[in-house]
Amino acid sequence: MAPMPLEGIRVLDFTWVVAGPVATRILADQGAEVIKLERKPGPPGSRQIGLQGDLHRNKRSIAVNMSHPQGVEIARRLAQISNLVIDNFSARVMRMWGMDFASLSQVNPGIVCVSMSGLGHTGPRSSYVSYGPTLQALGGYTMLMAEESGEPSGFGYSYADMSGGYTGALASLIALWARKRTGKGQFVDLSQFEAAISVIGPALLDIAANRREQTPPGWTCQEGPAAPHGAYRCRPRDGDDDRWLAISVRTQAEWDRFVAAIGAPGWAADAKFRTLYLRMRNRSELDAHVAAWAAGQSAETAMQLLQSVGVAAGLVANGADICARDPHLKARNFWGTVTLPDGLTTHVTGIPMKLSATPGAIRTVSPEIGSSNDYVLGELLGLGRAERDGLIADGAVWP
Amino acid sequence: MNDDGALAGLKVLDLTTARGHLCGRILADMGANVIKIEPRGGDAGRRFGPFLDDRPHPDRSLFFWFYNLNKRSLTLDLKNPRGREILLALARGADLVIESFAPGAIAEIGAGWKELHAANPALILLSIAPFGQTGPYRDFAADDAILTAMAGMLYVNGSPGRKPVRPLGPQAYHSSAYYAAISAMCALFARDRIGHGQWIDLSMQEATISAVEHVAGGYFAEGRVEPRRGTLHWSRYFRVARCRDGYVMHCSLGDWTSLVQWVAGDGKARDLVNPEWEDVVYRAEHAEHLFDVLDEWVKDYSRDELLERAQMLRLPYASVRRPEALFEDEQLAARGYFVEVEHPELGRKIRYPGAPFLFNGTPWRVRRRPPLIGEHSEEILREELGLDAAEIATLAAEGVI
Repeated sequence: MAPMPLEGIRVLDFTWVVAGPVATRILADQGAEVIKLERKPGPPGSRQIGLQGDLHRNKRSIAVNMSHPQGVEIARRLAQISNLVIDNFSARVMRMWGMDFASLSQVNPGIVCVSMSGLGHTGPRSSYVSYGPTLQALGGYTMLMAEESGEPSGFGYSYADMSGGYTGALASLIALWARKRTGKGQFVDLSQFEAAISVIGPALLDIAANRREQTPPGWTCQEGPAAPHGAYRCRPRDGDDDRWLAISVRTQAEWDRFVAAIGAPGWAADAKFRTLYLRMRNRSELDAHVAAWAAGQSAETAMQLLQSVGVAAGLVANGADICARDPHLKARNFWGTVTLPDGLTTHVTGIPMKLSATPGAIRTVSPEIGSSNDYVLGELLGLGRAERDGLIADGAVWP
Repeated sequence: MNDDGALAGLKVLDLTTARGHLCGRILADMGANVIKIEPRGGDAGRRFGPFLDDRPHPDRSLFFWFYNLNKRSLTLDLKNPRGREILLALARGADLVIESFAPGAIAEIGAGWKELHAANPALILLSIAPFGQTGPYRDFAADDAILTAMAGMLYVNGSPGRKPVRPLGPQAYHSSAYYAAISAMCALFARDRIGHGQWIDLSMQEATISAVEHVAGGYFAEGRVEPRRGTLHWSRYFRVARCRDGYVMHCSLGDWTSLVQWVAGDGKARDLVNPEWEDVVYRAEHAEHLFDVLDEWVKDYSRDELLERAQMLRLPYASVRRPEALFEDEQLAARGYFVEVEHPELGRKIRYPGAPFLFNGTPWRVRRRPPLIGEHSEEILREELGLDAAEIATLAAEGVI
């Protein structure tokens, strides 16, 4: 097997729910040894398939009782032989256990601690309880994901957990890099709220510099002007009428090719659509024409037709489209496969970056809670069988 | 600890087009020396709005500003053989080249992986492309909208039966940029192990898929095609409600007893006092009824009142705010989130969104405002390549820089 970029980096992982596990999953995919410290019993349901399977693959798990002094002692000993300790608790939790940066850096001066709390460790609202969806609401995303009426209509998922997750992985890597260079560890106070609003983008500068009140972006070209630009409903597929094609036409050359590709209909020659400026100005009329054309097309065929002439067009893909049908993702072997304990296999989301020499790998399924107790307590901490049994008998470790 | 940044000492050549801008900025914010290489006349992103005071000008694009803080600008005609030579000379001293052209474009001008690797075996090449460097859709054209569509992100946004809705911000670009920066860091770690650089193939479609939590999981676990659900979160624990002065977000996680006592105290609890609602799974299964009852309860509250009281009870409720509210947010102010950046040639200070994470040793920092077109061309050629004034003047006269 190819070497892994993060081989030799050990992560003591206290994270739970979604954002934290996304961060450590990214590190685990690239070869870091991620040891999840968990309690038993865990939440109900399998965590080896679906989202849970995505979150915890490639990690190890130990079941340690942090309400027990010997459990805390195990965690502290692990922190001494780890490079990164990461959590997504509020500020007080790690401090209460003596697992905060100030305490740990005394026993391990190179330690990097990353804490991914909801709103950060400092400030008047640091104790707020939050989840991804509530952070999106506070950040402005929810209000501006709206129908034309202005009524909020999304998100139906936790984008803030994912932005928090990738930001957490990146912060960890940057701090570990600085440690490599200087020998010094540090503490990263990552507010998932701030991570989420940091990817709003230029709209925040528009507020700051122009004092412009933001409206729902809709199809108003957040990445440069375009028309036609939208999602257009296409012909049903197998009785499913929720089929859409997204189209973005920018340059004059693209417009000319677009018109030719759809058969040069009479309306396209109308003077009111002659330039991008005019197409933007008359966009509702233009959209009606494009919508009427799209209604007779299969979304897949229309995408191929427009792409064959270099016009940006894409199927508004649903779960089955991306997971089972997209020939491109298949050709790139994007989806990962893991073997479940019963010998069956399941698919997980792949690794979205291919490093030519050290590509990373999906190696193991999400672990059962405590399944690495023997490796971690025995091999890493050097505790003999009798000592491990004693910890279990004392209730510091769950078997 | 030294205050020159976590990534001090890293030299990055940023050749990206608008879809790849953010990656280099993240690295620059943390101390990398990022040289933005723009075509003569400036990067296309400089022509994207919004513009300062709505006056379109390549040095007034807020789009460009957001993505290019802390970078220096060198204009270089890469299609000119002398321009290509300069690029390769700069690459000899660099750690990372980031590009987001159409796949194959840099190879065509003789500055692809083969040439870069020959010029500097330690160099890492990060190629950010809509669909990556291989596969049947490799040459497909795409912007952020097309990418969110083809990654399954767009389909799940909006209300059932209605047109999919785009999120605030080009989120396919942003998710890709973070994964790109992560991949660059991984390749740096790998370089110390394997002794040479490598070529990273970053597919924006794949990165965007990785930024939607539930679509693939729902399909692989249960064969479920995730629909649009409006504001009802797929987990069924969250939904938006109208209140007296706007909207709030319900959350049925957290301490149920406290919530029901509060609602009952307002005389609005109806059947929620029944014991079956104590089970969090039951609450999810009956989310529509639950939130319908709670909608009636919150409608007379103001957003702030509800948020403050809920948080006192440790209930994870939120107010649904406009992004403008971030600039008045006490929490962000206390943590110094927004930072003033001086644009001396405009006589203005602009508040920029700041650090996505607070490092206590090597913090995020504004080192310079976004560059004017070619602002640092001379400085870079002099410092990095040792060219003298006469040589630089010749390059300018020949239109290379």
